[in-house]
Amino acid sequence: MIDEKALEEIVRQVLEELGSKKQEAKVETKKDEGLDPARDFPLSKKRPELLKSATGKKFTEITFEEALKGNISAEDFRISPETLLMQAEIAEKVGRKQFANNLRRAAELTRVPDERILEIYNALRPYRSTKEELLAIADELQHKYNAPMCAAFIREAAEVYERRRRLKGME
Amino acid sequence: MINTEMIVEEVVKEVLKRLAGEKETVAKDHKDMKPAGRELILEEIGEAKAGTTGEEVVIGISPAFGIKFKENITGIPLADILREIMAGIAEEGLNARVIRVRHTADVAFIGHTAAKLSGSGVGIGLQSRGTAVIHHKDLQPLNNLELFPQCPVLTLDTYRAIGKNAALYAKGESPTPVPVMNDQMARPKYQAKAAVMHNFETQYVKPGMKPVELKVSFSKGGAS
Amino acid sequence: MRSKRFQVLAERPVNKDGFVAEWPEVGLIAVDSPNDPKPSIKIENGKIVEMDGKKREDFDMIDQFIADYAIDVEMAEKAMKMDSLEIARMLVDINVPREEVVKIASGLTPAKLVEVVKMLNVVEIMMAIQKMRARKRPGNQCHVTNLRDNPVLLAADAAEAALRGFDEEETTVGITRYAPFNALALLIGSQTGRGGVLTQCALEESFELSIGMRGFTSYAETISVYGTEQVFVDGDDTPWSKAFLASAYASRGLKMRFTSGTGSEVQMGYAEGKSMLYLETRCAMIAKGAGVQGLQNGSISCIGVPGAVPSGIRIVAAENLITTMLDLEVASGSDQTFSHSDIRRTARTLLLMLPGTDLIFSGYSAVPNYDNMFAGSNFDIEDVDDYLALQRDLMVDGGLRPVTEEEVIAVRNKAARALQAVFKKLGLPPITDEEVEAATYAHGSKDMPLRDVNEDLKAATELMNRGVHGLDIVKALAESGFTDVAENIFNMLKQRVAGDYLHTSAVLDKDFNIDSAVNNPNDYMGPGTGYRLSAERWEEIKNIPQALKPEDFDK
Repeated sequence: MIDEKALEEIVRQVLEELGSKKQEAKVETKKDEGLDPARDFPLSKKRPELLKSATGKKFTEITFEEALKGNISAEDFRISPETLLMQAEIAEKVGRKQFANNLRRAAELTRVPDERILEIYNALRPYRSTKEELLAIADELQHKYNAPMCAAFIREAAEVYERRRRLKGME
Repeated sequence: MINTEMIVEEVVKEVLKRLAGEKETVAKDHKDMKPAGRELILEEIGEAKAGTTGEEVVIGISPAFGIKFKENITGIPLADILREIMAGIAEEGLNARVIRVRHTADVAFIGHTAAKLSGSGVGIGLQSRGTAVIHHKDLQPLNNLELFPQCPVLTLDTYRAIGKNAALYAKGESPTPVPVMNDQMARPKYQAKAAVMHNFETQYVKPGMKPVELKVSFSKGGAS
Repeated sequence: MRSKRFQVLAERPVNKDGFVAEWPEVGLIAVDSPNDPKPSIKIENGKIVEMDGKKREDFDMIDQFIADYAIDVEMAEKAMKMDSLEIARMLVDINVPREEVVKIASGLTPAKLVEVVKMLNVVEIMMAIQKMRARKRPGNQCHVTNLRDNPVLLAADAAEAALRGFDEEETTVGITRYAPFNALALLIGSQTGRGGVLTQCALEESFELSIGMRGFTSYAETISVYGTEQVFVDGDDTPWSKAFLASAYASRGLKMRFTSGTGSEVQMGYAEGKSMLYLETRCAMIAKGAGVQGLQNGSISCIGVPGAVPSGIRIVAAENLITTMLDLEVASGSDQTFSHSDIRRTARTLLLMLPGTDLIFSGYSAVPNYDNMFAGSNFDIEDVDDYLALQRDLMVDGGLRPVTEEEVIAVRNKAARALQAVFKKLGLPPITDEEVEAATYAHGSKDMPLRDVNEDLKAATELMNRGVHGLDIVKALAESGFTDVAENIFNMLKQRVAGDYLHTSAVLDKDFNIDSAVNNPNDYMGPGTGYRLSAERWEEIKNIPQALKPEDFDK
């Protein structure tokens, strides 16, 4: 019984948040570029004009020559959320739903700095965090990084860890 | 909170069951076990406390170490293994403290638990089958300073070197790691045996139980 | 008195192997433990409320993750009603395309998948793998490691392995703090041997990710998952932390797959009395649910456990098959020593080499086994001519190509010099000409002069602290005259901006073209379909240097 209640609560929360953040949430999930896996994949060869790095550099401008001239930085090798969403669209269209969702969560995480990602991962390991700490991370992902899918995922983890006694101090 | 209560109850039941079962097993095992040349006497002296001096290395032994098992996977007496590690630590002028970790049989977590209780922050994890790790309290549990995963190739000299190196880390030095040994044929020969040993080991795990401090002595056991 | 015959038999390699009887109570059984659950499913309002005889409120973490993420609820009711024997027959029926089986499998529970697969004998398992592998072309992965973590030797061995045809190279460390050097040596070596080879460094999870973020590696694989909750927690993770990690990798444009394998749960002491195959199926479904593109399984580091029980090796092939049914890339193990017997280890490999998988080995030891820091592989570099002969005898593509001594020496030397140049540019402990020479002609680390390990470790840590990135390596190489190697590493870095190689079973050819299950899907439907050796590839496999040609008699 407790499970259903908890689930209801999560669903309610998520719906609420999605409601208030509709605009932003939509950015990550909706967008269909009309890509055709058979025609457009691999994007780097067939549709390079669509691709940009997270820093906004055009894929076609990231060349070896430019790198040697010092016009490319390490940051320019970061994938953009838009590219990940396009790859998610390809994945979805070849029937790989879970993989597509992973890429969508990844699109959200492009906005989270390296250090913070490693910290959040470690916080999600067993017995590392209290429920409150996990929920705070979820809020941070939701509001600071506009990552609603990841936020919901971590809220769910908090519930599961509580039910299965895997929170801090429960070992 | 129905679920939680049920889990607590289940755990309590399981712990009680295992405690009851253990007495029998221990008694029975002692009968079949041929005494090693030197007997290992492990006396429990209360809950293991966090160390206050940086002059120590804590050795964490696994739940069935010296209880179910008296020898490691290749037949080296556990008494000798523990003695060598302690001697290696003493050689560097540090104190060796021994605890039994009871909530897990995993060598990484045993080592990490020992490190967290060690005044120097350096601990050693040791399983009955002989697998060992040198750990530091500030590392992730599955990370390590040095890991010796292939227990069948470890010799008493290696164990002494493990103790010595742990002591050097405790002193803030960065010793040359104990040379890594590798025997790719240890797996086909010993892995299944290791699995069987480990399943005995985990039968001695008591979830939720804190590590216990041990007084270690070595007597000249029965002649054989 | 002893039988002389039995004395001879006792000395045979096979009798140095460990064999154990089944012990179902602790899960020491390949398949069909009396404690394995029976398949069932119950769905209410689009949610699975019962799975394999367990009610939702009793679900452990893994049950819940599988039920909510891995099983396609829309397919489940129909698929679960199908007769397991019928699905088993579809697996080997050449008239049923791969997509159809994938669709059905997407709605099956772990117990049902096991029930289907256990009906197949080994030949049928091989037939099914041939059809169900995701990418059309089979491939191969290798291990490049050495006992002393010697970076010069690593670079030379990585270059040779790339030349020999491996699609992917994996390294790991004897001493963790050496990791940045190992990753760097592998990257430079591999891209000297052939552009486009993917490289990884197996480490503790968060360290591995941080090295990937630096551009020192291009993919990750040792992201382990387990089939019981207790073992998962002992592995210091949960399905949620691992799934988050999967997204973290993708968010940096890095390819990744999970790792699991039969025997790990019993090896770690908490199999809950369930059979190895049942628990492994749960692992494969966790991978599916997390949305990673692939899985390395086939027992992997626990092979001594299934290898010791009845039908164990058959079940190890079955777990690879289940991975392919879940539409995941499979890196199919065969990567750790499991037998002293050449006969047993060959038999174990043929189960995968003949049907072909995305990565037949994961990996093949490209170094002598004494240097293999994954505790040895089922085949090592000393077996390579045997392997090439097998490809030629059986007309099978095992992913490798014959090479000449001259080209191997040349490429090893170039890789060692390239690493020497990068070390110099980055101010790392110098690599001497003597070391370059030794690595060029070495067989293993015993042939190498010793390095100052402490200096190396200090420098490796400092390298990470300084924030050196793959791009700095590109520049260092270019400035030292290794323009082609520099450009290859640049192209590897560029892959992560496009994200194409994140897709299922993706690898790169020498011109950095993607070969994946998206643009080259397996379409096997019997003779005349699926992967066939091209004329060029067959020519390559045929021409082992030691084969006498008519013109050799003209001299």
